[in-house]
Amino acid sequence: MTQQFTRRKFLQSACITISALTVNMSGIEKALAAAAGVGPMATCDVLIIGSGGAGLRAAVAAMKKNPKLNVVVVSKCMPSRSATCMAEGGINGVTDFSKGDSYELHCFDTVKGGDYLVDQDSTLKFCEQAGPAILELDYLGMPFSRTAEGKVKARPFGGASKVRCNYSADKTGHIVAHTCLDDALSNGVKFLMDHELLDVAVDNGRCEGAVLRNIRTGEIAPVRAKAVVLATGGYTRIFWNRTSTPYIATGDGVAAALRAGVPFKDPEMVQFHPTGVVHGGVLITEAARGEGGYLLNNKGERFMKAYAPSKMELGPRDIVARAIETEIREGRGYGQGLESYVLLDLRHLGRDKIVNDLPQIRHVGKLFENIDLVDQPMVIRPTAHYSMGGIEVNRFDDMSTVVPGLFTAGEASCVSIHGANRLGGNSLADAVVTGKIAGDGAATFASQADFAAGKRLVDITARWQSRFRDATNGGDAKQLYAIREEMGAQLWDNMGIFRTQAKLDALTGTLADLRSRYEALRVPNANPVYNTVFTEYVELGNMLQLAQAACLAASERKESRGAHTREDFPKRDDANFLKHSMVTMDDSGKMRMGWKDVEITKFKPEERKY
Amino acid sequence: MATIIIDRFDGKNRFEQSYKLDAADVAGKTVLNTLLFIKQTQDPTLNFTASCRCAICGACAVRVNGHAVLACDTKMDDLIQTYGSDTFRIAPLANFKVISDLVVDWEPAMENLRKIHPGMVAKSEFSMKEGCRQNQKDFDRIIKQWDCILCGACASECNKLSADNRDYMEPFVFTHAWRAANDSRSKDPLLHGKPAVAGGLWNCVHCQECANRCPKGISAADDIAGLRGMVMAKGMTEGVGPAHAKSFYTDLVEDSGRLNEVRLALRTEGISTIARAGMAVTLLRQGKMNPLEAFGGETIEGHDALVKMIQAAHAAEKE
Repeated sequence: MTQQFTRRKFLQSACITISALTVNMSGIEKALAAAAGVGPMATCDVLIIGSGGAGLRAAVAAMKKNPKLNVVVVSKCMPSRSATCMAEGGINGVTDFSKGDSYELHCFDTVKGGDYLVDQDSTLKFCEQAGPAILELDYLGMPFSRTAEGKVKARPFGGASKVRCNYSADKTGHIVAHTCLDDALSNGVKFLMDHELLDVAVDNGRCEGAVLRNIRTGEIAPVRAKAVVLATGGYTRIFWNRTSTPYIATGDGVAAALRAGVPFKDPEMVQFHPTGVVHGGVLITEAARGEGGYLLNNKGERFMKAYAPSKMELGPRDIVARAIETEIREGRGYGQGLESYVLLDLRHLGRDKIVNDLPQIRHVGKLFENIDLVDQPMVIRPTAHYSMGGIEVNRFDDMSTVVPGLFTAGEASCVSIHGANRLGGNSLADAVVTGKIAGDGAATFASQADFAAGKRLVDITARWQSRFRDATNGGDAKQLYAIREEMGAQLWDNMGIFRTQAKLDALTGTLADLRSRYEALRVPNANPVYNTVFTEYVELGNMLQLAQAACLAASERKESRGAHTREDFPKRDDANFLKHSMVTMDDSGKMRMGWKDVEITKFKPEERKY
Repeated sequence: MATIIIDRFDGKNRFEQSYKLDAADVAGKTVLNTLLFIKQTQDPTLNFTASCRCAICGACAVRVNGHAVLACDTKMDDLIQTYGSDTFRIAPLANFKVISDLVVDWEPAMENLRKIHPGMVAKSEFSMKEGCRQNQKDFDRIIKQWDCILCGACASECNKLSADNRDYMEPFVFTHAWRAANDSRSKDPLLHGKPAVAGGLWNCVHCQECANRCPKGISAADDIAGLRGMVMAKGMTEGVGPAHAKSFYTDLVEDSGRLNEVRLALRTEGISTIARAGMAVTLLRQGKMNPLEAFGGETIEGHDALVKMIQAAHAAEKE
């Protein structure tokens, strides 16, 4: 029996005021809805999925663009539990032009850092907006650390030729996230908390809206929206315990877009941050090196002199991460197997510097490794950190995808600004800049559009409702956790920092096996109320799809570029691969590889040296 | 062998459930890792929220033996040492509506946060194009309060909320109002102060529990006191709360230097304090209150020095 779903039930279960979602029904829609066994559909003009920096900036921008629009932010948890709040080091943007810095230079550093897989025209626009975005955040009340003149303070950061990484102690992301949340609340943005995205529906080439699950009540319901913004963050959780990102950032929006036919661009481009804690993958921010920390091998040498002699520890992330892994592989690290590590030494900075400027790092050291960085060097190794790839952005100026009505922003999106490797400090800038553009774009679109019919939305909703019943009917959750662990370990071993065709071919087979084990999976909890094991089940399905796409693109990109290191193709190959990989998926789940040219305007590809 | 007793709720029924774990399975682990271990090895129906696992997102606050902690930031070894036991009760945060097991409803608290307009409005000398200016001292003044991660620990500990939450907001809401009002860039402190008063600013009972248990070391109690001072200085002196505060001040500076409880009640609540006559009688009987105090008391020794101290404090604050 299909569970009867009524508007009243949906609205009551939603944690927002009744005005947030309004019902707009025609006779046809009623008939459609009745046929599928679901009640009338809730509607909303601009539906934003994800409440990190990008989602929150999108919401405020959309409301400011057209205050008449009904704008709702959907969050899997409570809105401040995002990956944005975990960023530490800073936010890039040129605000001081007195020492030779410029938007163009920021753009060049970003292009070079991204190993030229960067769309230059869009990236210059991004840099032109990143500077003003810093001052806007300051104006909104973000407490930046200050210069002697009282201006926003910046620190040096990896891969940047000038000092433009603006910061607030070592909690910049947390401060950005809360500034954005404060601003969203103060502007009247409405939230649907504890709601999970299951799918977006695309019919006749138009986005109809999204299927959401109210985690609190278990109800699975369609929401028709004139415009949907996917701002669900990255997908590095595919490496499961080998990533720095939060548990909840499982790439749900990217997977939903992929299923809806939107290309997944550069999925193989995953950044490995050089300095994660050995146990659990949490980050020690780049600020530790920015402030002068040393990386040491088991001989006590600052080994970066062999890899990036001029930049040393401040070389870009991919180069530093590879250097650490090389040291470990060649016997100059400490420990064994997965517990291998090198040292990050801050002791020479002195107690005051560590206590005052790097308190969060010191805390992480104590919590995960029982190490006080004032007295002892930290044990570190690389960890999967950021998704350069994501939902393909068709047009940077409004962050629209190829599907009318579907927009994306932040780490979930791929313009591409970050190419094959993102520079530190560019992720927060990406979140606030692209979030604002997407909100603006979605509001402009929604102001002129009507609601789509919602036929496919209804079909997909019914499918998810039956999937909940089937998937929660008995079974053993240990299987779920086993598949998840194995996915993470296999990806780390075969699609980690060093990749080869043999490893990737093996991984392709392994992922297909994991997929079939997943298809047969059942979890023993049919309770609809806050069923977190079903959420984990949905997330695992998303991650397996994203991992398959990444593995496909990693096998096809037979070159080394940025974060993508093929030991069997150690050189960058601009003749054949100076282009974006584009993975699409058909209804049967089969993935296809395509390519798209990189936008090159000013900066001709050259060898990347630091 | 460790025993974890969890207060559970499946949406319909409340019950408690015990999980037995080998000592080796909790050694070196955080409370969060212990919960994840239980979920993954013993009971997938156990529900809780967690996100960053490094004490910055605020998702995993729960109560251990009655007290709010961040599950990811609390080590089992430390708990075993503190309590001298390896049996613990884990419960959802108090003063929130429980949705399921350790998961609570954040919606009302977020709506309270919205009420105090958490976003600062910058002074007119600043602009969106040029940003603001702030000196290090003014930055230092507010930055502690910006450590708040909205974990809800202070609200869980709050006795006022437990007693009656109809005329009071979560302590962190006042911290957010304080930081917006006291930012040197902020145009109008009362934009945040007025809704704080409406939300029960004067109803804090000064128990300090919020400050004791904040995982970030923030004192919402201090922020409440600071906001009270700010709204009075800005002219919001009407009502029981300000009258109560003024009465203390009058006793200390202008009168004897000793708190006069008879006058305190009269000055605070006026004639309506008669409603508390029953309590007054009890106090009199127990020798806790002297009715003759209504006519004033003897000036304390060193009253001049006390007045000088208070004046010096005033002067320091003005600087």
